[in-house]
Amino acid sequence: MARIELDRLHKTYGPVIAVKDLSIAIEDGEFVVFVGPSGCGKTTTLRMIAGFEDPTSGEIRIGGQIVNDLEPRDRGLGMVFQSHALFPHKTVAQNIEFGLRMKRVPAAERARRVGEVAAMVRIAHLLDKMPAQCSGGESQRVALARTLVTNPSTFLLDEPLSSLDAKLRRELRAECDRLHEELKRTFIFVTHDQEEAMTLADRIAVMRAGEIEQVGSPMEIYSNPVSYFVADFFGSPSMNLIAGALVHEDGGPRFRSAGLSVRLPDIYTTLRPGPVTLGIRPEHVGVRPGVGGDVELPVRLIEPLGKDTLLYFNDGTDRALVAVSEGLALAGLKSGERVALTFAPNRIFLFGPDGKRIRL
Amino acid sequence: MTKSRRGLVTTIFRYVVLTLWAVVAFFPIYWIIATSFKIDTQWFAWPPVYFPDPPTLANYLNVWLGAEQYAQTQYAISSQKPLISLMNSAIIATTSTFLAVTFGSVIAYGVSRYRILSDVRMFQLLMLRMIPPIVVVAPLSLYYSALGLLDSMLGLILIYFLTTLPYAVWMTKSFIDEVPREVEQAAEILGASRWRTVFEIVLPLIRSGLVATFLFILILTWSEYLLALIITKTQVTTLPVELSKYQGSTEGRVYGRQAALAVGITIPLMIVGLVIRKHLARGFSFGMVRR
Repeated sequence: MARIELDRLHKTYGPVIAVKDLSIAIEDGEFVVFVGPSGCGKTTTLRMIAGFEDPTSGEIRIGGQIVNDLEPRDRGLGMVFQSHALFPHKTVAQNIEFGLRMKRVPAAERARRVGEVAAMVRIAHLLDKMPAQCSGGESQRVALARTLVTNPSTFLLDEPLSSLDAKLRRELRAECDRLHEELKRTFIFVTHDQEEAMTLADRIAVMRAGEIEQVGSPMEIYSNPVSYFVADFFGSPSMNLIAGALVHEDGGPRFRSAGLSVRLPDIYTTLRPGPVTLGIRPEHVGVRPGVGGDVELPVRLIEPLGKDTLLYFNDGTDRALVAVSEGLALAGLKSGERVALTFAPNRIFLFGPDGKRIRL
Repeated sequence: MTKSRRGLVTTIFRYVVLTLWAVVAFFPIYWIIATSFKIDTQWFAWPPVYFPDPPTLANYLNVWLGAEQYAQTQYAISSQKPLISLMNSAIIATTSTFLAVTFGSVIAYGVSRYRILSDVRMFQLLMLRMIPPIVVVAPLSLYYSALGLLDSMLGLILIYFLTTLPYAVWMTKSFIDEVPREVEQAAEILGASRWRTVFEIVLPLIRSGLVATFLFILILTWSEYLLALIITKTQVTTLPVELSKYQGSTEGRVYGRQAALAVGITIPLMIVGLVIRKHLARGFSFGMVRR
């Protein structure tokens, strides 16, 4: 059993607060991704779980047992590092069997298990090579195998894919997913890549400035962000976030900014007028050639991607308003042409000046 | 002039200059080797004798084996025992170097991983080496006299160990710094103890660096003269001290013998250097850990 609980975990380096009163419970077998920009404390959190950093205060419990004072090797965890951290002077096979040797597993048994995991991550042909002879992707597979072989209750992965190129990253992402399916172990994965988080996680913990901003399933995080920060961080292309103000006109709430004026759903009737930021995902902006809709804007740029077409509009701010339309139906629009845009009313988010989502 | 022509001229010019410089730099070494094979009348002959004629082994046999039949009487030094000095030097230099590298790397590990010494302390450590040895010789011999360490192997080993320790710490630290922490942590989380990690991961990775450090300090202690001269008398003579005896007010300048001794002092270091040259190239290039 490896339910991992972090209870008001706090870490400071001198005056700098790296992790601030962080609490989360990670269920046995769950795949949790800590995601956030660099310096948000996600790696520090992972390293505290591993035992490489001592928390300033707070508790770490694994399977109900407090492990704050346990050495890393006594916590029953496995870790994959961003730099792979292979032992450069040992062959791939020696790298993989290292953990078993430390546990005094007999040689014959070691050889069998090394063969097994090597086959599992498809590196059987590399066993006699030195790490320096392996490519980046191969090295990471070796690092995975080295961790797998010790059969840890929980896998800690610290940005394991960030040193790889895009294609390999996708490939190894799928590998991580498959391993999690097969092994049914707890995975704690740290990344700054929102796409990795979305595709891998059962649950995402979005971190910012040492605190968890939001915890939830990828769908929750994507479709129900609690703050401007979360809304902005997830999605590609990212959410349209337009600064403006809420006003009441003609008996209904409206959003006004430099370049547009949009009627808001009636639920915002009770809201006091004032500065707000409107958020809407590109796929929830409807585009129709001609006039009408919530607002008419001139097209700035058209990007036909094949499956979709991305349309960029001038809305009077630095950041263009983006809309996605399926297929290539709108790829023929001319730059400068005015079109009608409709904002799906139940997909509009409003964020207050403090960055928090306004909920009613 | 065409471009390739000009390139050729530059290359030739470069080689001429470098060759001339090499001749200037290597001439003293050649001169010592040549002199060691000269008969006594050619040592100070004018015009100089560039090639020993006839070459003789008399200098070597006399100096190293004390073979009297090769001694031209007026140049024989009866009290010398170069083979014993060679043994003394070997024992003292290797022991003190071994101690310096061992303790130095342990300290360096602590500094690199646990910051047991601040940057200021580390600099102070290096500053110790900036004190000219002659400054400390007088107080040191007083200490040594009181401790009964004068003219003893232990005395020399101790002082060489302590004076080369800063180098050992600084050099080995730079190698340990090159070993990524994550590699050590990977070993730890896989179940290795601290000691196991050091012996199985860190030491093999910095082996070349340790060998390079060892040779560097061995050269320092092997050729150290001042301290050896002052704090030893007759019991423990090292080779550099022995060498100096061939140039004194009573003996005159016994160049041939001195040259034979000098060649003998140099050869062991060159052999060591050749044996470990693979490590030296890697150790001094600092590139043994792939990140």
